[in-house]
Amino acid sequence: MYSAPETMPIELPTFHADISLPYTLTPGRAAGTFLAEVKNKRIIGSRFASGMVVAPAEDFSSVDGEEPESFVEAPQTGVLTAFTRVDGEVIGFIKLDGCDNEFPHKILADLSDLAVGQRVEAEWQDGVEESITAIKGFRLAPDAPEGAVKPAGETEEPLGSIKYALSLPYEHAYGPYYGRMFDEIRENGRVMGVRCTNADVALLPPREIDDISHKKTGTWKTCADTGTIRGCSIINMEFVGQTREPPYVYAEIVLDGASTRLIHMIEIDDVEDAKKRIKPGTRVRAIWTEGERKGSMSDIERFEVIDE
Amino acid sequence: MALKKVGVIATAQTELRPAWSDAQHIDLISSVVTSVFKGSGLTIDDVDFVIDSGSDVLDGRSISNCGFLGALGAHHKEEARVEEDGIWAAHYGVNKIASGAASVGLIVAYSKPSESQVANYWSSQVEPFYQRPVGFSQRAAGGIQAQRYLAANDVSMEDLANLVAARWAAAQENGGVQIDKLPSASDVLSAAEGAAPLTDLMFSRPMDGAVAVLLADEATARRAGADPVLITGMGSSADAHAFADRDNSRLNSLSLAAERAAASAGWSAAEADIVEVSASTAVAELMALEALGLAKPGQGKAAAQGGKVAVNNSGGALPADPLMVTGLARLVEAVRQLRQPKRYGLSSASRAVVHGANGIGMQSNCVFNLEV
Amino acid sequence: MGHHVGIVGVGQTHHARRRTDVSQAGLVREAVDRALADANLTIEEIDSVVVATGPVLFAAVNHPELWVANAIGAQGKPVMRVTSGGGAGFAGALAGYYQVAGGYSQRTLVVAYDKLSEGPLQYSISTLYDPFWGREFAVGIMGFSAAYWRARMDVLGHTEEAAAMVAAKNRNNAINNPYAHQKKAVTVDDVINSRPLCWPIKLLDVPPISDGAAAIVLANEKVAAKSTTRPAWIRGMAYCCEADNAAERSMMLSEPLALASKQVYRAAGITNPRRQFDVVEVQEPYSCFELNYYESLGLCPPGGAAELVASGATQLDGDIPVNPSGGCMGANPIGAVGVIRLIEGATQVMGRNESNQIKDAKLALVQSGGGWANLRGCAVLSA
Repeated sequence: MYSAPETMPIELPTFHADISLPYTLTPGRAAGTFLAEVKNKRIIGSRFASGMVVAPAEDFSSVDGEEPESFVEAPQTGVLTAFTRVDGEVIGFIKLDGCDNEFPHKILADLSDLAVGQRVEAEWQDGVEESITAIKGFRLAPDAPEGAVKPAGETEEPLGSIKYALSLPYEHAYGPYYGRMFDEIRENGRVMGVRCTNADVALLPPREIDDISHKKTGTWKTCADTGTIRGCSIINMEFVGQTREPPYVYAEIVLDGASTRLIHMIEIDDVEDAKKRIKPGTRVRAIWTEGERKGSMSDIERFEVIDE
Repeated sequence: MALKKVGVIATAQTELRPAWSDAQHIDLISSVVTSVFKGSGLTIDDVDFVIDSGSDVLDGRSISNCGFLGALGAHHKEEARVEEDGIWAAHYGVNKIASGAASVGLIVAYSKPSESQVANYWSSQVEPFYQRPVGFSQRAAGGIQAQRYLAANDVSMEDLANLVAARWAAAQENGGVQIDKLPSASDVLSAAEGAAPLTDLMFSRPMDGAVAVLLADEATARRAGADPVLITGMGSSADAHAFADRDNSRLNSLSLAAERAAASAGWSAAEADIVEVSASTAVAELMALEALGLAKPGQGKAAAQGGKVAVNNSGGALPADPLMVTGLARLVEAVRQLRQPKRYGLSSASRAVVHGANGIGMQSNCVFNLEV
Repeated sequence: MGHHVGIVGVGQTHHARRRTDVSQAGLVREAVDRALADANLTIEEIDSVVVATGPVLFAAVNHPELWVANAIGAQGKPVMRVTSGGGAGFAGALAGYYQVAGGYSQRTLVVAYDKLSEGPLQYSISTLYDPFWGREFAVGIMGFSAAYWRARMDVLGHTEEAAAMVAAKNRNNAINNPYAHQKKAVTVDDVINSRPLCWPIKLLDVPPISDGAAAIVLANEKVAAKSTTRPAWIRGMAYCCEADNAAERSMMLSEPLALASKQVYRAAGITNPRRQFDVVEVQEPYSCFELNYYESLGLCPPGGAAELVASGATQLDGDIPVNPSGGCMGANPIGAVGVIRLIEGATQVMGRNESNQIKDAKLALVQSGGGWANLRGCAVLSA
């Protein structure tokens, strides 16, 4: 019942890839107002028609999606209702005085000093704006008097967006097929694929199962480092994450001996000339990167047109 | 309006390993998609559609299904990516076959959490303005849930450790899960802190793996040979997003999902022979059994030990939690047990309930009732 | 057989380049409020919810369905996310269709959205390429889309003008679309003379980048009447794929779309699409794709798309109007577009399209697609 892929371990390190993207996230009216108001050291909450008050402010009730009637200013004191510690940081749920909800935040105390029901108060962190971390966390405040929810009065304009970044590192496994392919590129400077079912052309990149016939692929085959353009376009624009300076040609190339396309680029001097000279059917050759090969796609620096 | 009954013809599962370091996603997928047909009499050409579960964030690739369509056997077929645990993909497949639009569907779920930082998979699920910046995520939810559960009920840390040790032992017994060293209850108690009060071993262990399930309408399934396991009930429910906004004393959305599945099957988990649940912590496993109606709130401890209803004979998610796959793996395990009850120490078995979950602190839950 | 399924309520946001007044969740709420009001329903009467969006990297929220469902009061309901890149909305609607057709729900709400102003678009689209094999040379999907167009130009002798005609038609149609945000009259020459981005794709061949959401309520034949006396019935719907590196992948026709349309036409009794359909809505991520779809959907013979658009047949007053709403050229919140096209097609056969109602429209064809141009589907809607 348990099946294992027939893997043939290859001593290659993992392939490191980073996905790092900048964002501008829109918090919406309630969170946007809350985040705008932290510079005034105010905690903005929402009051709903039912009388329920939640802080920090929400545009929609977590109970039924209802929209709030008004903003309120919540007190900075409340009760610790639960807590835990993750990676050495204490996180707890806080219920602010006069509010009906709990929310998570950092607790500025040792875990061993904590008990559910303790009084806490917000501690602000100077120099932080537009983030809930302007509140550094909540500290124990056994004698803090009971605070009260007040009308919010005039509030700052809600923030239209906040900056955010996502950074996702990966260590991808090569597996038996990519492992051999990149090994061959590194060690022997040759591009190898595996034969499709019943054909002497190679699937590139190689894989165990033929995409179309869904049968096992065949033996390995060396492809040439020359090939034919199947599709191409001229990149004129700039964008985040671009690795080459425009203009250049984006090309889908079928290497001689392969059946599938590989994506690469061709340098150009003149756009109008490139439109005429580089097109489907144009013959190209790989220009290998100088120096020691790394066993990756970047060992081919670019392709260039073969003048025939 | 006679809707078609839908059954499971065949299943396949890779071994679940902490890291399939010598295989890519596509290798795991190819493995289960080719082996699921063995003995079924069917081939990929008999499959009308493919529905797959996987996570772009875990895979490190957007619309990652696009890169795996060939391996999935989906070329020139209808394909859908359900970005939820695989049990939701099966849910979609059952609906499609029940409508009469298709006869045979292939359901695939896979993941390789070992290639990424699992903490990112969880934290990126958290609402980004209030909770994510303060570091609230899956671990903290598990810790707070445990603090509250232990304070309210007659359950000790030792009870939790015993449960974890028993589940790992069951997984080893059952096979299919890579276990280098079986932890004892005292190992569980003395493991590093996961989220106070829980130790790391009281959390489910992320694993790499893939599962494939062949679904078909009842007539096709019967023609395929072995008695099909029929899916007679399905239910799903999502709770509030913020864990702090939920009733932390119970898994409300799991109760709702189970009630819905029971309403269509005509029987509930308490009347099943076999239950397989996916839980992200030892406490959550007890709460899941309570939500399914196997025990009163706070009293899941006894039910977890089995008895009239066998619970997580496979070991469940604690020793092996292949994210995005876990719920569908529960279905695979239950099908195995229904087909070979004696192997699992059951005199007979005709009904099973399986469960999958998604989201921080199991926000969303899906339940299937199965019958032979 | 399964239940009949109709679209009984629709709603979309007023799409914009950037909505700084609502979060992703708030955007979803706007579309859902409109769809529920249109269907004469409250959220309590919805059995199940499908959320569809583009890739997670567009807006930095993983499993966004579990966040945004809160904003529509769906707590406790079944919520499922379907993704398929650009075709996410359509693929989500198809999942919803089967929930109703298969008897799991009586009414399913499908909401699709993308808030593309939140992140860098081309870069996040480039992450759909294999990290080992080509990602560093990717240009979103624009680089390869332009390559496909160039191949058609070379093989079929089509000119840049044919795509420019599509762009101009759709841009001018969008002027009457109350939900569009790009509404400037342009000529074919304007398109041809606009700045090249990925030649042959030029600035005006490319839709805007948008924030937007769209929602539909699907209902079975028993409960549809509570919402409307004139649902848009789904007569057939399919969404097919080709393996992305398929050796035989055609640069000319979309094979998955041809397959999907064959299935859907059989289900809906369509034998002569050009004559039978009153109106067509397609998802054209770049103008050149619309030409490919004419051929793949059988609106003209293979290779005949340039002639078809030049004949004026696909204009508002032609015999087979395509994208009277303006298509993606008016607004392009990618993951939502499949549902937007369904809405535009549905309201045509319901007789209440807000952009450019085609007189007496009874039968509509809706196309959508995503992935690496390798996931393509279509649906037939009738009064």
